[in-house]
Amino acid sequence: MGTIALVGNPNSGKTTLFNALTGSNQHVGNWPGVTVEKKEGKFKYNGNIYNIVDLPGTYSLGAFSEDEIVARDFILRGNSDVVINVVDATNIERNLYLTTQLLEMGVKVIIALNMIDEAKAKNIQLGIKALSKKLGVPVVPTVASKRKGIDELIKETVGLIDEKMSLKPTISYGDKIDGEIKSIKGFLAGKTLEYPPRWIAIKLIEGDQYVHDLVTEDKDLDSDNEFRDILSRIKENDEDYELEIVNRRYEFVKDVTKASVIRPKEAVKTITDKMDKILIHKYFGLPIFILIMFAMFQLTFVIGEDLLGEMMVTVMDALAYAIEIFLININSPAWIIAFTTEGLIGGIGAIIEFIPLIVVLYMLLGILEDSGYMARAAYIMDNIMRKLGLQGKTFISMIVGFGCNVPGVMATRTLESKKDRMIAILINPFMSCGAKLLIYLVFIAAFFPDSGGLVLFIMYFTGILVALIMGKVFSKTLFKGESADFIMELPPYRKPTLRNVLRNIWDNVSEFLKRAGTIIFAVVAILWVMAVLPVGVEPYGAESVLGKIGLFIAPIFKPAGFGTWQAAVGLFSGIAAKEAVVTTLGMVYAGVGEGTELISAIQNAFTPLTSISFMIMTLLYTPCAATIATIKKETNSVKWAIFAMVYTFAIGWVMAVLIFQIGRLLGFN
Amino acid sequence: MLKDLLSVIKDSDYISKSNISERLNISEELVEEGFEQLIRMGYIKEDVRGVKCDIGCGGCPYAKSCDKVPIKTIKITEKGERLLAK
Repeated sequence: MGTIALVGNPNSGKTTLFNALTGSNQHVGNWPGVTVEKKEGKFKYNGNIYNIVDLPGTYSLGAFSEDEIVARDFILRGNSDVVINVVDATNIERNLYLTTQLLEMGVKVIIALNMIDEAKAKNIQLGIKALSKKLGVPVVPTVASKRKGIDELIKETVGLIDEKMSLKPTISYGDKIDGEIKSIKGFLAGKTLEYPPRWIAIKLIEGDQYVHDLVTEDKDLDSDNEFRDILSRIKENDEDYELEIVNRRYEFVKDVTKASVIRPKEAVKTITDKMDKILIHKYFGLPIFILIMFAMFQLTFVIGEDLLGEMMVTVMDALAYAIEIFLININSPAWIIAFTTEGLIGGIGAIIEFIPLIVVLYMLLGILEDSGYMARAAYIMDNIMRKLGLQGKTFISMIVGFGCNVPGVMATRTLESKKDRMIAILINPFMSCGAKLLIYLVFIAAFFPDSGGLVLFIMYFTGILVALIMGKVFSKTLFKGESADFIMELPPYRKPTLRNVLRNIWDNVSEFLKRAGTIIFAVVAILWVMAVLPVGVEPYGAESVLGKIGLFIAPIFKPAGFGTWQAAVGLFSGIAAKEAVVTTLGMVYAGVGEGTELISAIQNAFTPLTSISFMIMTLLYTPCAATIATIKKETNSVKWAIFAMVYTFAIGWVMAVLIFQIGRLLGFN
Repeated sequence: MLKDLLSVIKDSDYISKSNISERLNISEELVEEGFEQLIRMGYIKEDVRGVKCDIGCGGCPYAKSCDKVPIKTIKITEKGERLLAK
């Protein structure tokens, strides 16, 4: 008869080992007074029954959490005869920190070196004998999931119960701390304590409040001036002492693993270092980044349009036809047929044929992200932004803004100083989000079918450029102050996995579709009503309510070259949501605006020059309602939300006008 | 080891765990563990990837991208700076 405790890091396979040891012979309860789960079981060996307790998984045995306290109390109070320390063989360096603490507790320990098969698969060479010798405890290799090594582990563990306690290596914490340990132990001698004196001494020096309270409960100790002197000396040096103790434990782990673990030299590391020499080079880094982005947009068109675009149009046409026939067959009222075929299918049709492009763009972005290059891009931009006196971390929120400005604005929360945060929030709307992408795609199809990649590239870069300029302006005028310093982590390069890339596509495209679906439905419903009212006017005409609103706004955009009521209505609905711009144009220009019809209508209404000024306007002008609401929420100020609406509109308008006027002067059409 | 790690972080333009492991002549796994420990002890702070959506936009189609910032950053805390100054 005896009791065995199982201790280990989370994910070390401890519970699998527990199951392998006990089979179905286990029950689950709670530790008294806490909400931590207690698992107990039994196993039989040589006719004797042994209890086994699965202690909560922890990384250390301090007093950071209930789990840690439960685990260490159970061990220290002598509830177990032997402790099995489950160590993940693939992650041995990290798991051994816990082991060092077990060794300090002066209990019988045996190590189950688990997942040894995975370690072998990873070519990690483990010297079991050397490990056992360095740690002064038996080490048994196991594969708990395949029940390998379990019998050996049981045999060794049971054998250990009757053995005399063997001498464990003592970690030296340096003369100063070792001296403190010695003198504390002197005071503890002769006391009946729940825990071993050396362990109490170490914990006191580590600044463990729990143990401190326990010791000062003892009236003799608490009133002993010399002892209190030691405690206050520890208090004065607590940070140094704590660090030194942890440091020495790691030195010990380093020493143990140097002698017992050989890891394969990973080719990835050297490749990463070599690639980084070029990709984040002081001078070449930026041009390479720009080149990669350019290539990405080019490739988007090559794959997305040429290979997949045609297919989508055919499918959509067939679908629209089928729905119309269906509605006629079931004798739907005329207005439902009109709303569905003209409004809904018109609006969705305008979008659907561009989905392949969006899929491909997110695929390429996913590849860049998964390969580790995105972090390098952020690092390069960080350097540039620092030089401009801006907080480099802002670029991280800008990258998020490429997906959608709402999470982009939220991502500014990681910026600590108010100045950095305000600037990052105000410039985020200039990042071209997924919904704006759609607008460019329609105009590219109409005017620049052969240089779509270049146009997209220019749009995205203009967004970044305007954001940087405005950031600089804001940091010189509105917000002054210091920026917090930080360091970026560059993960090793790796081959993008199909899974991650597909996931990235799915996340983004399903988001896009969900949003487009709900928004198009809502916007189409409202706009359609406005476009056919008042009763009797020509639907989708200038005399409709929608047309009148458009005519009222249109003159503002005359200097930018697109002063038509239709363009004005499109921009107006874009403030609700940017997806609505294309949908609205589809409705007002084409009426029954399926993809190709919308494009020919746009070719009639715009020129190449005005299409560019219109695209620049949509890139820069007032963000969508959801973004404005988020800005209000994050700045906690209606004033700044209104400011963001107005100043972005002004910038968009000025840029659009400049492009149109200068373009005209230069003789472009 | 931890203090060395901290001063390497302080001196670096960027963090590459493989570079640090070479510089300190310790395995990358130990570097990884050292980072965790420095965070646990409050010497450095790591920005968790992005932020969780807590503006009640669980139903927002873009909610998924809220905590998907692909880049990790690290900052040395005041406690860390104090240690380095010693």
